[in-house]
Amino acid sequence: MAAFLARRLAGALIVLLLVSLMSFALIWLVPGDPASAFLDASATPDQIQRLRTALGLDEPLPLQMAHWYGRILRGDLGESILLQRSVSAALIERLPATLSLAGTALLIATLGGVAAGIVAAVNHDKWADQATMSAALIGLSVPDFWLGLVLILVFAVSLGWLPTGGFVPFGESPLGWLRTIALPALTLGLVQLGFIARISRTAMLEVMRQDYVRTADAKGISKLEIVVRHCLPNAFIPIVTVIGIVAGALLGGAVVIEQVYSIPGVGRLIIGAIAARDFPVMQGGLLFLAVVYLTVNLTVDLIYALVDPRVRLT
Amino acid sequence: MNRRTLGCFALSAIVAAALIGPAAAQRRGGDVVIGITQAPPSLDAQVSSAQSARNINLHVFETLYARDETATPVPELAEGVKISADGLTYAFAIRKGVKFHNGKELDAGDVVASLERYRKVGASPALVAAIESVQATGPYEATVKLKSPQATFLDNISSPRAPIAIYPASEAAKEAGKIDVIGTGPFRFVEYRPDSHVKLARFDGYVPNPNGKQTRDGFAGKKEAFLDTVTFRFMPEAGARTAALEAGEIQFNEMSDGPTVKRLAADRRLTIHKLLPFALQVIKFNHAQAPTSDVNFRRAVLAALDMEEIMAISFDDIYQIDPGWLYPGSKFYSKAGAEKYNKGDLALAKDHLAKSGYKGEKLVFMVDNIRPNVDTATVFQQRLKAIGVNVELSVSDWPTVSKIGFTPTGWSFWAHGFGIEPFEGPGSVMSPWVNGLSQQAKDPKIDALAAAFALELDDAKRKALFDQFQQHMYDDAVAIKAGNYGMFQVASARLKNFTPYRIPRMWGVWLEN
Repeated sequence: MAAFLARRLAGALIVLLLVSLMSFALIWLVPGDPASAFLDASATPDQIQRLRTALGLDEPLPLQMAHWYGRILRGDLGESILLQRSVSAALIERLPATLSLAGTALLIATLGGVAAGIVAAVNHDKWADQATMSAALIGLSVPDFWLGLVLILVFAVSLGWLPTGGFVPFGESPLGWLRTIALPALTLGLVQLGFIARISRTAMLEVMRQDYVRTADAKGISKLEIVVRHCLPNAFIPIVTVIGIVAGALLGGAVVIEQVYSIPGVGRLIIGAIAARDFPVMQGGLLFLAVVYLTVNLTVDLIYALVDPRVRLT
Repeated sequence: MNRRTLGCFALSAIVAAALIGPAAAQRRGGDVVIGITQAPPSLDAQVSSAQSARNINLHVFETLYARDETATPVPELAEGVKISADGLTYAFAIRKGVKFHNGKELDAGDVVASLERYRKVGASPALVAAIESVQATGPYEATVKLKSPQATFLDNISSPRAPIAIYPASEAAKEAGKIDVIGTGPFRFVEYRPDSHVKLARFDGYVPNPNGKQTRDGFAGKKEAFLDTVTFRFMPEAGARTAALEAGEIQFNEMSDGPTVKRLAADRRLTIHKLLPFALQVIKFNHAQAPTSDVNFRRAVLAALDMEEIMAISFDDIYQIDPGWLYPGSKFYSKAGAEKYNKGDLALAKDHLAKSGYKGEKLVFMVDNIRPNVDTATVFQQRLKAIGVNVELSVSDWPTVSKIGFTPTGWSFWAHGFGIEPFEGPGSVMSPWVNGLSQQAKDPKIDALAAAFALELDDAKRKALFDQFQQHMYDDAVAIKAGNYGMFQVASARLKNFTPYRIPRMWGVWLEN
């Protein structure tokens, strides 16, 4: 188990190193200049140059790179040019909103997707199977921003049940949190629910064809018990893999949903930073998301190892 | 009391009631939420020239001079100014009894510290570039010495672009973006939730300027706050802002589009406001490279364009066809050169083109990804095709185009709005073309006119200089003004006495029950 963990951690570190290099390269790859964005058109070239010097944008490339790695090794992602505050603090204060959104969406997608997959598999080739899989396909095909606007129109404008957007932290009001997160999480979760449903169905069907399931059926064990005790644990490996992928996709999708529902999350911070060429936030945000993504993947790997002993031995 | 006296009393009461009727409708209290398109980069008013920052900061902070309803500079925190005969010294008398939101009384020390701070960290450095020194010459007098006379100095001091806001000296001593948000305006800062909202509350210690108009007057006048709180919610998605307005979650949508407004027009719970003009749509030429360096080529383009076509497609239902480089109604508004505007004359365009050195090469029209700007570029491209000019569109985001657009290569045409410059006045309209900043090649005539304008104190002569500038813009087709555009704003019908202006002013308005 220790060797397995060490291998995974080493892999994660290599990925992190590559992402940190890419983050640094952003400043050179992306056109536009934060100094121009910060000052208005009336600024003289001299004033722009002074700001570039103050921001360290005119330092030689190796020196900028040394500063970058020096800072990130100390856990310092730098100062936002536009927000004039620490990038780490800006990311951390927006993290609860993004985690609330992605976490709740993951819960909706997982519970709904696995349930739909089981229903479809158990009713293989019957109308329930066709209906569930058709719904899953529609869910997969619908653009999330469009679905978001439709849900706002129905549940917020027409029915008035839920707010159109915004975010209330859980600590401030659990009910307020639930009301503000419900529609965005549903929007984000529904799209991924279809994906998990289709994979769950396939995994379940494969397990249901196994001899031991047929034996259990011949022994007269109830269908529910066969599904819950024998099929589901064995179908879990591919489902966990998909949940890991979906968790990453949800972090990406949250960027769009945060815009639609005006949620103050990490995605909106990064989008705003891109528009203003706030390079420290762009770089720090990319690195931060990579760390979150790698942590999710590492967790999924650990769950594999716990669920399936064969993984630990390979 | 006889019947006649009673009748007189009754009549007087009716007349009085009629006269005070509107005032009686004013109601103190209530909370308004405004949906704005972007979060402000900073609540440190001096360091941001973004519209989103102005929207909020000009409710909290005030300036020595401010623009009135016609954009003329009038005293705000100053009682007035004494200008020396040589035009080099401005002695501002500071109003007494003005309170900051922390209870401190405004004095000359605060003014000096604020101006000095702006010289170090202000986002529009050109506004204070002429200042030699700033000194407190009395407890309520601050004196500014200029390096050379500048006729536009009061225009600069009163600019709302990145306002030279007056802070308490203790805050002015702090670095950019590190201040506590303390001003003298009618609303005080309550809360900022990053990427979510800014909340302001009525400042009950606000002291209106007794020397100004006793009504709402641009950024000046009496700023009477009726509302308890105003919350600016950052809502980038247009559909979400409209939905929130329809659901009653916000009471004001800063910006809406034509088709949405048509749909909402029938909703009696809402009121549609037109903010027009809000900006000029301008097409710039790169004078640093051929063929746009060739005056005949530029004249060909100017002659070919049908401005009605450009504006109607780009700004559906909210535009004006207007040749002036200032907004109609402003003091120096001019029609000089108007005969060359909106010709749409392809034969004349071909004549000019024949005299130019254009040989059919592909030219880049650079534009940011805002829909009306892309539409302008597309209409332009099709129109120029008719006279044999080959235009290719290059669409990027704003930081990219604004980086390339101030360099001499990589573009021939660039379209975007000029909103604050025409509001600020002739000096600001000329400024982008001085030293070839926007066209990337010096234009000696513009440089000379702008320099003369900066020194000229006589309004009639200043007007003549601006007329010459505008005439030159048309004669040499330095750049093309397509028209004026505006924006739709939608409010709850309960929000009373609102008038569109450069920012959604929440003073002088109240919520009806």
